[in-house]
Amino acid sequence: MLLSDTLRSSLAGVSSNWMRSGLTALGIVIGVGAVVLMTAIGASMEQVILGQISSLGARSMVIFPGRQEGGPQGVGTGFDSLTFDDLAALEQLKTIETPAPVMFVPGVVSAETEEDAARVMGVIPPFFENQNIDVARGRLIEYADEEAALFVAVLGPDTARNLFGDRDPIGKRVKIGDHFYSVIGVMQARGSQFFQNFDSRVFVPFSTARQVTGQKYLNFVTMRSLVEPSLALEDVQSLLRQRHDIAESADDDFTVRSADQANEILGGVSLGLTAFITMIAAISLVVGGIGIMNIMIVSVTERTREIGLRKAVGARQRDILLQFLLEAVALTLVGAVTGALVGVLLAGVISLIVPMFLESYHFALSLPAIAISLVVAAFTGIAFGYSPARTAAKLHPIDALRYE
Amino acid sequence: MTAMTPPLLETRSLGKIYLNDDVETPVLFDVSLAITKGEFVAIMGPSGSGKSTLMHILGFLDTHTSGDFLFQGEQTQAFDDDALARIRATRVSFVFQAFNLLPRTTVFDNVLLPLLYHPTIPTSEREARTNKAIAAVGLTDRATFFSSQLSGGQKQRVAIARALVTDPEVIFADEPTGNLDSASGAAVMEALQKLNDAGHTIILVTHESETAAHAKRIIRLHDGRVVEDTTSFKRRVANENTKLK
Repeated sequence: MLLSDTLRSSLAGVSSNWMRSGLTALGIVIGVGAVVLMTAIGASMEQVILGQISSLGARSMVIFPGRQEGGPQGVGTGFDSLTFDDLAALEQLKTIETPAPVMFVPGVVSAETEEDAARVMGVIPPFFENQNIDVARGRLIEYADEEAALFVAVLGPDTARNLFGDRDPIGKRVKIGDHFYSVIGVMQARGSQFFQNFDSRVFVPFSTARQVTGQKYLNFVTMRSLVEPSLALEDVQSLLRQRHDIAESADDDFTVRSADQANEILGGVSLGLTAFITMIAAISLVVGGIGIMNIMIVSVTERTREIGLRKAVGARQRDILLQFLLEAVALTLVGAVTGALVGVLLAGVISLIVPMFLESYHFALSLPAIAISLVVAAFTGIAFGYSPARTAAKLHPIDALRYE
Repeated sequence: MTAMTPPLLETRSLGKIYLNDDVETPVLFDVSLAITKGEFVAIMGPSGSGKSTLMHILGFLDTHTSGDFLFQGEQTQAFDDDALARIRATRVSFVFQAFNLLPRTTVFDNVLLPLLYHPTIPTSEREARTNKAIAAVGLTDRATFFSSQLSGGQKQRVAIARALVTDPEVIFADEPTGNLDSASGAAVMEALQKLNDAGHTIILVTHESETAAHAKRIIRLHDGRVVEDTTSFKRRVANENTKLK
């Protein structure tokens, strides 16, 4: 028998009882649909996160004061372990470049009648380079501002809008704490990154911040690695441990993070998520497969006389085996393709809704996940369809013809 | 001396024992007969006489357990499943009492079925052969009907069309009129008669004398043994010998 004939017979078998075939395939539809949808959401989220990392730059690094377990939560409030001398030592390191200190300036930001809860940061020009911050209007802080400790400020776009509305803030004055600063620029919008929103920040020269606050320590230091980020991270860590006289067994009194590290963590999370989804998919496919096997056993029993007849007119064992096997595979594949389409459709719907809350979310699909689910579904059909198909193939023609 | 063409089907002391859960049930004993090409044979006998079993063995649907069964002079013991399937696909065909048509399938597709398993008839000939077989039983106007939409007589004619679509040498008919009224039964027997006239060997299993009357030769079985053969093997050989002289 030609394969095309066998396939036609199998499809006729599947389509002869639409309702039953449909319900049988539903398990596979749901399983594959869930996998495709979940991996699509995963792929979209990964793009969102990768977008954030790449806008920051993979070489970007930051040192926070405070113990490692405490993490960055306590930044700027009471942790004085990062000093100006540390900064000077960091500048000598060969594995990093442009270490840029940051010092917070307390106080409410206001202009004319409006107030804003923006955080004010004293920075030096390389800070903007380290963080990939660009100017939208006016200019960023320059070395001249820093050297003269000028009272100038660069506003984040959100802060600029809150304080000045649609008016151009360049040349206008803002009040931070007890001092007035003249606005020299507005930075380009860049949205939220790792739960930090740079768009509602105000940047002033570092020297000005130091002068206003009189603070003797740094709130954090940004920099870029010149070598493999993990090596640079290690270098910074050992330098600071040595400088801070930390015993071998004691914990760091600072935390070093790299964008690359964030990438790795997210990669790990994404891998874990993929494994989890794969497990769910495997379970749902097995459940679906059992449904297929069940219906194939019923089908073989119901069609025993048909099998007898096919044998009587010349069907070989392998013709019958192939027919029923293809029927099981057709059932699973129809279910899998339908499931994939449903998954893609739902992912599409979600990509229309989510950007209302998360602008950088875009429709994305995990093509390998779709391909793997289809292949696995086909194998499920073969694995669970084989036993009933073999039973059918082994039937004795006379017994099959006489079956009541 | 001219070499004799071997009979189409020949059994020598053929026996069949069914084995069910270690219980042996003998059904056929010492059956010796020969059927030549073009014969119209009726195998008769009461229920349980073994006539259907004999037909199944002769039709390669079942195998014997003792003696010999030769197909065109060739021992069939050595035939494996595939070889038997190939003979069923190409050389023999069946008409069953219960029609055995595929449900939810058209007349055309039912008749086409054996061609799907035929190893040599090309795909391009299928449609023409199917239509020809349907026309031969007078059902051209019903070709697109589903088997469930037909009367009993029509169903059996579809089964006959299915049996002749591969142009087999032997057509086996197992109680072909058993489920039919007398008019439909007569039409079916007429169709089989025509096939025999066209050169097909017909082997009919029946317990109805009226149906058997269409056959040129009657083999009667009782309790698994041949008790009567109107044209016995010996007499045929004697005839051949006379002819040779």
